[in-house]
Amino acid sequence: MEEIRATEIMAAAGARELRDNDVIVVGLGLPQVAAVLAKRTHAPGLTSLLEIGVVNMNPVDTPVGLADSRIFYRSTCWSGFLDILGMNLHRGIVDVGFLGALEVDRFGNINTTLLKEAPGKVRYINGSSGGNDVASLAKRVIIIMRHEKRKLPMALAHLTSPGFVGGKSRREMGLRGEGPHRVVTNMAILGFDPETHAASLLSLHPGIRVEEVVANTGFPLRVPKEVAVTPLPTPEELRLLREEIDPQRAYLG
Amino acid sequence: MCIVADKVKSVSEVVRTISDGSHIALGGFAIARNVITVVHELIRQQKKNLTLSQCVMGMEADLLVGAGLVGRIILGGGSLDRFGLLACVNRARETGQVISLDYSSLSICFGYLAGALGISFIPIKSLIASEVLDRLEAGPAAEELRRMKCPFTGEDYLLLKAITPDVSLVHVQVADREGNCQIDGPRWENEEQAKAARRVIAITEELVPTEHIQRFPERTVIPAHRVEAVIHQPFGAHPTAVFGCYDYDADHLKLYVEHMKRPERVREYLETYVLSTRDHWEYLEKTGGLKRMNQLKANRIFGY
Repeated sequence: MEEIRATEIMAAAGARELRDNDVIVVGLGLPQVAAVLAKRTHAPGLTSLLEIGVVNMNPVDTPVGLADSRIFYRSTCWSGFLDILGMNLHRGIVDVGFLGALEVDRFGNINTTLLKEAPGKVRYINGSSGGNDVASLAKRVIIIMRHEKRKLPMALAHLTSPGFVGGKSRREMGLRGEGPHRVVTNMAILGFDPETHAASLLSLHPGIRVEEVVANTGFPLRVPKEVAVTPLPTPEELRLLREEIDPQRAYLG
Repeated sequence: MCIVADKVKSVSEVVRTISDGSHIALGGFAIARNVITVVHELIRQQKKNLTLSQCVMGMEADLLVGAGLVGRIILGGGSLDRFGLLACVNRARETGQVISLDYSSLSICFGYLAGALGISFIPIKSLIASEVLDRLEAGPAAEELRRMKCPFTGEDYLLLKAITPDVSLVHVQVADREGNCQIDGPRWENEEQAKAARRVIAITEELVPTEHIQRFPERTVIPAHRVEAVIHQPFGAHPTAVFGCYDYDADHLKLYVEHMKRPERVREYLETYVLSTRDHWEYLEKTGGLKRMNQLKANRIFGY
C-alpha cells in the first residue's frame, strides 16, 4: 500500500476529535475533509454547518472551498450566515468550531488576516470571515494546521480570533465559548492546560520525535514525561480519504 | 395577465443611476453568484470613491478595487477559495489605497440585520477580545462601535451600528419582470443585505412569468416591492458559479488570478475583458462564447 502521508494523519486525527452527535461549524480546507471523514466513519450523527448556509454537506465531488456548488448538492438544508453563525453558533448550540490558521500562539489565539514580512511591512492574506465568530462562540475549538516554527510563533502578526488572550480565562474575557481545545498538526496533537491555558504536547505522530516538535515550535511547549503516539489512519479511513473524499488530492497534497 | 410594473432595465441605464461615493453592498460570496455584469458596467462608467460592504468578498470586489473605483471596504473576509487570494483588495489594504474596515462574517450580517429591521444598533458576543476589534475601535470605525452591559443580565456586549447601504446588488437564478427574486441553493447574507439597503437591484439569469413565481412562492427571497430594477443577463455571474445554472469557469479564474497578482497586469485584464467590451454579451464572446458557456452549464441533478 502507498505510504501514509502526514496530511492523511492530520485529517484522520482531526476527524477523531469529533464525537458522534456533535454540531460543528467547519472552516475552509482540511477541516472540511476531516468533518466528512468523521461523518462517514465513527460519527454518523455529526451535524456539520458551513457559514455560507449549508447544513450536513455530503459532496460526491471534492469542492474547491465553501462557495462551491459541489458542497451545496446533497446537503440537508440551505440557509445563510444569520442561521448558521447567528441562530446556531451565537445561540450557543455549536459543540465544535473546526478552523485552519496562518499562525497560532501558545494560548490558542489565531491569525488568519495578515503576515509581517519586514518591520512596518505587512502582507494581507484573508481576514476573519467566520473565524472570529467561531473562536468566540463555539464550545470547543479545534485547529488544524502545518507545524512550522514561523506558524507557531511567540507573538502573532495579528490576533484575528481569540483563544485564551494573554493566558486569561474565557470568562474573564467575556466570551461564551470555552476556547481552544486541540491543535492538530502534521507532527503532533497539542492540548491546553486547564490552569495556565498554555499549549502542551498531547501526542506525537508515528516516527516524529519530541525534539523535532519542540524545534519546530516558536513558543515554549510543555512536554509531559510520557507522550502518547497518535494512531495511524485505519485502512478504511485511508480508502475513504483517497477514493471518495479527496481523490484528486486537492487538500491532502 | 397584466404586469403591475415592468422593472426590467438595461445594465447601463441602471448603473447611470448609481452616483459616485455610493455605498454598494455586493451579493456574491467568493466565487459564487458574483454581480459581474454590474461590476463591469461600473468600471466602464468609471464610478469613483465607492464604499463596498459584504460578509465574504470575492471576484466582484477585487475587480472594483483593482479598477481603482473604491475608497472604502467593509468586510468580514474574502478569497477566491482554492483559486487564490483577492490580490487587488489585499494590495490596496497594504498600500492604504483603500480604507479597510475588517469585521467578521457574523458582525457584518448582524449589521445588515439591524438595518433590515430598522433598528439603529445590534448587540453581539463575538469580536470582543481580539485585535480585529482593537483596530476597528482605533480607526475610522470607532464611531460605529460601543460596548455595554446588558441592562437585564449584566453580560458584556459589543454594540454594532446598523449597516444601511445605498444600493444592494444581488445576482439570482430566477426573477419576474416585477422583481420577485428567487434564489436556489444557500443564500449567505442576501436577504438581510438587500432588505437593509435603500435600493435593491437584481440581476437574473432567467426572466420568468409571474405565474412561475406564484407556483413556487416559498422560493422567493426578495419580493417585488423591495426591488427597484431587474437586469436580465444569462451567464451574468461568469466566471463565478450560479448553483443550478452553471459551474465556475476554472480556466478563466486561473487567468484572472495570474493577471491580478502582478500590479502591472491588472490594466491588461481590465482592458481586454471589461473596457474594450461594450456589454456582457461581448465579454462572454471573449471568454469562449456559446461553446464555453455550454460546457459550464450545470448538470440537472448536481446543480454544477
